[in-house]
Amino acid sequence: MAELATEKHVSYILSVEKRKDNFESVVMEHLRMSGAYWGLTALDLLGKLDSVDVEEVTSWLLSCQHESGGFGGNVGHDPHILYTLSAVQVLALFDKMDVINVDKVTNYIVSLQNEDGSFSGDMWGEVDTRFSYIAICCLSILHRLDKINVEKAVKYILSCKNMDGGFGCTPGGESHAGQIFCCVGALAITGSLDLVDKDLLGWWLCERQVKSGGLNGRPEKLPDVCYSWWVLSSLTMIDRVHWISKEKLVKFIIDCQDTENGGISDRPDDAVDVFHTFFGVAGLSLLEYAGVKPIDPAYALPVDVVNRIFFTK
Amino acid sequence: MSEESDSKVEAMDLLRQLEDILESDALIDELGFIHPSQFPLLKEESDISSSLSYEASHQSEDGIVSSVESSKQDNIYFWNRDHKLGISTHVLLPLYRTVKHAFMITFKQYRMCDNQSDKVGICLPASSCDHLESTLLRHSKSLLVLSCDFMTAWNCRKLIVSKKQQLSMFVDELLLSELVLSYSPKSEQAWNHRRWVIKSISGNCSNFKEILGKESELVEKIAERSKMNYRAWNHRCWLVSYMTIEQVLCELKKSRSWAALHVADNCCFHYRRKLLLKMMEGQSCLDDVVSCGHNVNIVQALKDELDWNETLIKRYVGREALWLHRRFLSMCWINNFVPDSGDESYHSKEATGLYHDFGTFLQNELCLLHSCSTFVDDDFVDVQAQAAHSACYILWLKVQVPKPLVNELQEKIRDVDLKTFLNKSCPERSSLFNYFIN
Repeated sequence: MAELATEKHVSYILSVEKRKDNFESVVMEHLRMSGAYWGLTALDLLGKLDSVDVEEVTSWLLSCQHESGGFGGNVGHDPHILYTLSAVQVLALFDKMDVINVDKVTNYIVSLQNEDGSFSGDMWGEVDTRFSYIAICCLSILHRLDKINVEKAVKYILSCKNMDGGFGCTPGGESHAGQIFCCVGALAITGSLDLVDKDLLGWWLCERQVKSGGLNGRPEKLPDVCYSWWVLSSLTMIDRVHWISKEKLVKFIIDCQDTENGGISDRPDDAVDVFHTFFGVAGLSLLEYAGVKPIDPAYALPVDVVNRIFFTK
Repeated sequence: MSEESDSKVEAMDLLRQLEDILESDALIDELGFIHPSQFPLLKEESDISSSLSYEASHQSEDGIVSSVESSKQDNIYFWNRDHKLGISTHVLLPLYRTVKHAFMITFKQYRMCDNQSDKVGICLPASSCDHLESTLLRHSKSLLVLSCDFMTAWNCRKLIVSKKQQLSMFVDELLLSELVLSYSPKSEQAWNHRRWVIKSISGNCSNFKEILGKESELVEKIAERSKMNYRAWNHRCWLVSYMTIEQVLCELKKSRSWAALHVADNCCFHYRRKLLLKMMEGQSCLDDVVSCGHNVNIVQALKDELDWNETLIKRYVGREALWLHRRFLSMCWINNFVPDSGDESYHSKEATGLYHDFGTFLQNELCLLHSCSTFVDDDFVDVQAQAAHSACYILWLKVQVPKPLVNELQEKIRDVDLKTFLNKSCPERSSLFNYFIN
């Protein structure tokens, strides 16, 4: 079997930042903060985080912070909880949490919790279990989980559980592997995994593996490398990874590499992007692929980073 | 002038053209980015069709419309006809850069103006604020046409519209979102924007019911072009919480034929599950149902759905979404209508009837297994998939059936060697099967 083209992927990730001459890349600038998280975490997992200029990244990152405490996807863009987590995760990678006012970021997130325990993404009120995960993950990294009503937050997440064992965006929303990751991740961080029906959920999740070895995110969909992360991390958290074939999944991810120019795509022979490159590498990390640092399935950060957050104080 | 400033002027002019088109044709309902090489072809086609339609429009319109149309068609960057808009891929980058810059600067000014008026307690000259608002509405629209998930532009529109509180402006937002969805049906921000509008007008809108109906139709229209679109169907599920029981029943009826034509689309079946659950919820507040004058018979509805699902399973072989829907239906059947033995009502006549029904139900499911599970090694993939799905389904039933009833199922499936069958039809899931069988 072919191997992971680590060097190529590193240079691909570093090159993405410099490409600003075509419409397709410029039009993604509103989510640059998430792009930074995907790219930098992938670099760290591949052991190459030192190839970026920390000062440059942090000063740009700080210029994306809004006076409310939240972060925008890029300079001048409105703040949103999505980019706030990405910013905090990037700072965690660099061990640079001291550059932000933690209480300010905390207040922003706390202000987004609703009466029923759910979280809005920003002041405009869209509710989604993704935002519950983000709030919980972010506050946990900042050691401020006690500032929200965790009990209500957990209750809301459980109200989004379906009869198939999966979770949706809001109560009654269709089960989706990405949403499942968020809900299971939030429950894992809050120590509430006992409230998940692991057998039922594990069954649904392992049925995501298709003949080619890849995983899809919903029934009848094509496999996609990003679900190597969403499905696999969820299975890991509920201890049911052995219900899928790990070997076949490794092969699927490896087959999605562009071995010439670097990067990983959603499916073999498609165009690569930094999003799928990160999730491919993260999937391989959970599959204990040699040469890739281990990743934490709930925080989506390298295990050594998570350890540093919680065990050095 | 330098070359750079030349091209800047040019880009500003392009932007003005685009914004004029968007403003003059409020009914544009479809949008696309077109390669420059396609423009001559489009022109040729429209010349033919306009010479055909010229005779018809000539008398009533005095040819004015035609002359405007023809000047539009000389444009080599934009295409606008029959409420369709095409933008040349050649100008996307300069257009985007220009409009983004113009939008960001104006939005910054607007915020400062807003802050000042907050602090002083009096508004700046209303005209300057109004001017900024209309400029922002123009720029943000062009920006969203080019970059559909540019969240800050959507937010800016929310800010302005929520200040004005005019129903017509809210409705315009639904139109813009629909335009964006016409070329980017998965745009998360465009769907969010619709929900924001609907939440904002839900309390004070006389034709709210009608708007809900139209929303549901829009999802169906988009789902037709964009298969298994999670965001679209999620929106439709979200609408259910606003629906009356009457609308729920109507949606259940309407979505049935669509589902039958799209048997691999799990989203639509999930939508039906959501509707059925809403019916069951509604059943607990019986007064509501009676006052609506509807005979909501959930037992009958479930039976019908099970029968219909069985027909589809037999007609469309090997479809995962159909089998998953069946798991849900069986689960509802078991949870809601099979009394557990500890229950007092167990001995009631009705309960005994239902218990008897359960035996019949199980018998039927095993028949279904038998009819779906025969395949030989060289059969088509679909037939093999059907066998695997049916075997998984029976195992699933065995796991889900409450303890007191499991013996009955156990007896019935004894003559089927489920384990061998499962491992034969779906060897890659053997560790899952072993876990549940042992």
